[in-house]
Amino acid sequence: MLAKEIFREFKEHSVSEFFRKNAAMLGYTGKIRSLTTIVHEGVTNGIDAAEEAGILPSILVAIKQIGPEHYRVVIEDNASGIPKKFVPQVFGKMLAGTKLHRNVQNRGQQGIGVSGATMFAQITSGKPTKVLTSVGDGEITQMEIMIDVNKNVGKVIGSKRLKEEWRGTRVEFEVKEVNYQRSRYGPFNYLRMTAIANPHVRITFVEPDGTLTIFERATEKMPKRPRPIPPHPWGIRSDDLLSLAKTSKAHTIANFLATELSRVSKKKMGQIERLSGVDLRKSPREMTWEDAERIVSAFKRMKFMSPPTKGLCPIGAKNIERGMSQILNPEFVYAVTRPPKVYRGGIPFIVEAGIAYGGDAGKQGENSEGLEIIRFANRAPLIFDQGGCVMTSAARDVDWRRYGVNPNVTPVTLFLNIISTHVPYTSAGKQSVADEPEVYEEVRSAIMDVARELRRFLNRKIRRREQMKRAGIFERYLPIIAKRAANLAETDEPDVGPLLEKVTGVDFDPEE
Amino acid sequence: MLTLTQRSESRRVKRAEQKLREFGADVVERIRRVEPPKLSVPSRSTSNIIYDEKSGFYTLGDKFGMRSAANVRQVKKFAQMLCAADFCKSLITSEKFATLREMYYTAEGWETGSFSDQAESNALVEDMEAAFGLKREDMGLMPEEDGAAVYGELVVREGDVRIDATKAGRAGYTIPPTIDDVEFLKCGAKRVLAVETMGMYHRLVQEEAWKKFNALIVGLKGQAARATRRFLKRANEELGLPVHIFTDGDPFGFHIAMVIISGSAKLAYINHELAVPNAEFIGVTASDIVEYDLPTDKLKECDIARLKQLQKDPRYNSEFWQTEIKKMLEIGKKAEQQAFSKYGLDYVVNEYLPSKLH
Repeated sequence: MLAKEIFREFKEHSVSEFFRKNAAMLGYTGKIRSLTTIVHEGVTNGIDAAEEAGILPSILVAIKQIGPEHYRVVIEDNASGIPKKFVPQVFGKMLAGTKLHRNVQNRGQQGIGVSGATMFAQITSGKPTKVLTSVGDGEITQMEIMIDVNKNVGKVIGSKRLKEEWRGTRVEFEVKEVNYQRSRYGPFNYLRMTAIANPHVRITFVEPDGTLTIFERATEKMPKRPRPIPPHPWGIRSDDLLSLAKTSKAHTIANFLATELSRVSKKKMGQIERLSGVDLRKSPREMTWEDAERIVSAFKRMKFMSPPTKGLCPIGAKNIERGMSQILNPEFVYAVTRPPKVYRGGIPFIVEAGIAYGGDAGKQGENSEGLEIIRFANRAPLIFDQGGCVMTSAARDVDWRRYGVNPNVTPVTLFLNIISTHVPYTSAGKQSVADEPEVYEEVRSAIMDVARELRRFLNRKIRRREQMKRAGIFERYLPIIAKRAANLAETDEPDVGPLLEKVTGVDFDPEE
Repeated sequence: MLTLTQRSESRRVKRAEQKLREFGADVVERIRRVEPPKLSVPSRSTSNIIYDEKSGFYTLGDKFGMRSAANVRQVKKFAQMLCAADFCKSLITSEKFATLREMYYTAEGWETGSFSDQAESNALVEDMEAAFGLKREDMGLMPEEDGAAVYGELVVREGDVRIDATKAGRAGYTIPPTIDDVEFLKCGAKRVLAVETMGMYHRLVQEEAWKKFNALIVGLKGQAARATRRFLKRANEELGLPVHIFTDGDPFGFHIAMVIISGSAKLAYINHELAVPNAEFIGVTASDIVEYDLPTDKLKECDIARLKQLQKDPRYNSEFWQTEIKKMLEIGKKAEQQAFSKYGLDYVVNEYLPSKLH
């Protein structure tokens, strides 16, 4: 069974307690943000699970208010389900996941996600997290999970089996000290952004007041799954190298480097040895922190082929346009996917930008209008820490008026997505991308690409509007001229049609 | 007594009606030929207002602007002009007159919608006057205010009414805004004596100056109204009467006379219908102030400034005016026409005017 294969790769990291003390780092800071983070973890998990199983994701999110600052959050997916024995690990063990050890572009990247939500629920409400899951074998597993903080294991509080035909996973978190708000930072906007960046996903959302919103999918085509690629020597850090070495099956460090990193050939070993002074015939399991640091420092002084970009899966311009069209209903939409570039001398990344004008585009909320910037990293929405993000600063540095946009008035939504196996986040909160010069330049170029197209559209629109206005003026006054002139001359009224056509030179478009 | 049989007025009206009809016909023809209707309007900008030495008044130069119905900024104005022309033609055919204000309000009912203010509709009328070479009065539009008072041997006909200007009471015959509609029937006078103030007018009527000088006494009431200027022009041209102008001895009096003689810059496009270039200013001059030792007032700041303006004005570019202006600036004094009362109420009739009217 597919799910079993996926979960076979589970690995353990005993850090629950550490993260409990650092809940803020995981996004559990502030009453609104904490709620959004829970939704994010659940939805990300669901979409990833469905995609891995080759299923078009359909996600249901329902938030119900139980009391003051007290909510129940339900997230349901249609993915492959979780085999019973993995449920406590998935929801009750931090840093356990199928992704951490793989160098692959992914939404979550750290695998702390959904267990963090369990943890947060447990800390604030004292209640376990309820999980219903079925792999589609006619049996539903219902479990209540809590985390044993000291041992970093998931405790099963209660377990039931139900006979029913269904496939997927449903999680219910009961949380306190959170607040629901339909603001830029709230779950609604998070889901809206998720829907834009993932046009193959259908999201149903029920708000606490009962409002039902369906973000319908805009395409039936599944995105390409990113493939794991070995880290490039320029992108790797000492601790990464060390942890890879610890689990390597190679007999020598030389062998380990050649197999576990990309673009490191056997020919380079002499040079690495010379520059680092590390004996590469040692077993990788004997590698010390100092060895790792010296090797990484040697890498920086060496030349390597650029890293392969096949691990990067952009959303694609067409899909961004589909997503923006579906959710924003704009008059105009345009998107680009830029070719891969590298930053810090070797880490590949791709920037995508989309722009939508009119319709529901533009800043959200009452009494707000103008340019809205929506940021994504590996197609996951970045909601918080907007100010410190390279995407925000690049967008702000653009002289929008040159593109016919008044950032305070024009209803424009700017979509920005950075794709990379190593997105250079500013902090562990992963809500903003660091100002790497190459990334900044690339984001700026992408913005200008789409802004130019918007300007072209707006100019056409202005021209057409002026032409129509002009035509309207002639349509109004020329018949008066004809009638009054005929009256003056005491003759028959001339047909003004041909002249009208000549002076306006406009084909009257009934759609305008 | 001179008897006039010809009704010049009907000819004028025919001409106006004809012009408007031609305008309409031209527009219709252009629309049929799928050409944008156009109208060339002489420019009324200051750069196109020229003092014509030969005729002695301001006139428009040969610059003109093209109003086109194919221009998006002009098509509304063009339509309004046709509405106005149509309105005027209906005034003419029904023998009615309307004031500019009435036309402005009538425009509320036009298909083009109303004017934004009266200045806009007035400008349109001025365009039409300039473009067609017609006065607004010819097109059935009349000024708001009445003209001057006339006393003397003149018989006129307004519609069915005959008016004798010696039998219209002491206030005399009032020149109506529709003066072009008035027919001169008989005239016994040999000259026109136009005076600035009604005070002087009544003095002259009481002293029977109209008999003594065989004159039509015209009380201008300050700056002459369009209707008054038109009356003076007609009296001068149709009746062949020389016009004498008697005003206060100050820059404003000078200019009342000059506007009658040479016309104003603002109405340059129509001055050929208004100006009386051979009219004569007889006083009060600066020389008179000295010669008759008249009671005076000191020139005020604004008088001096005005006199200096007049010095440079091409209309005052003659030896007589330059000398008089210079002299007034030298003595720094001005005098009213009624200052002659110093020597008795009848002094002006018995001594001053005879010396001026030869």
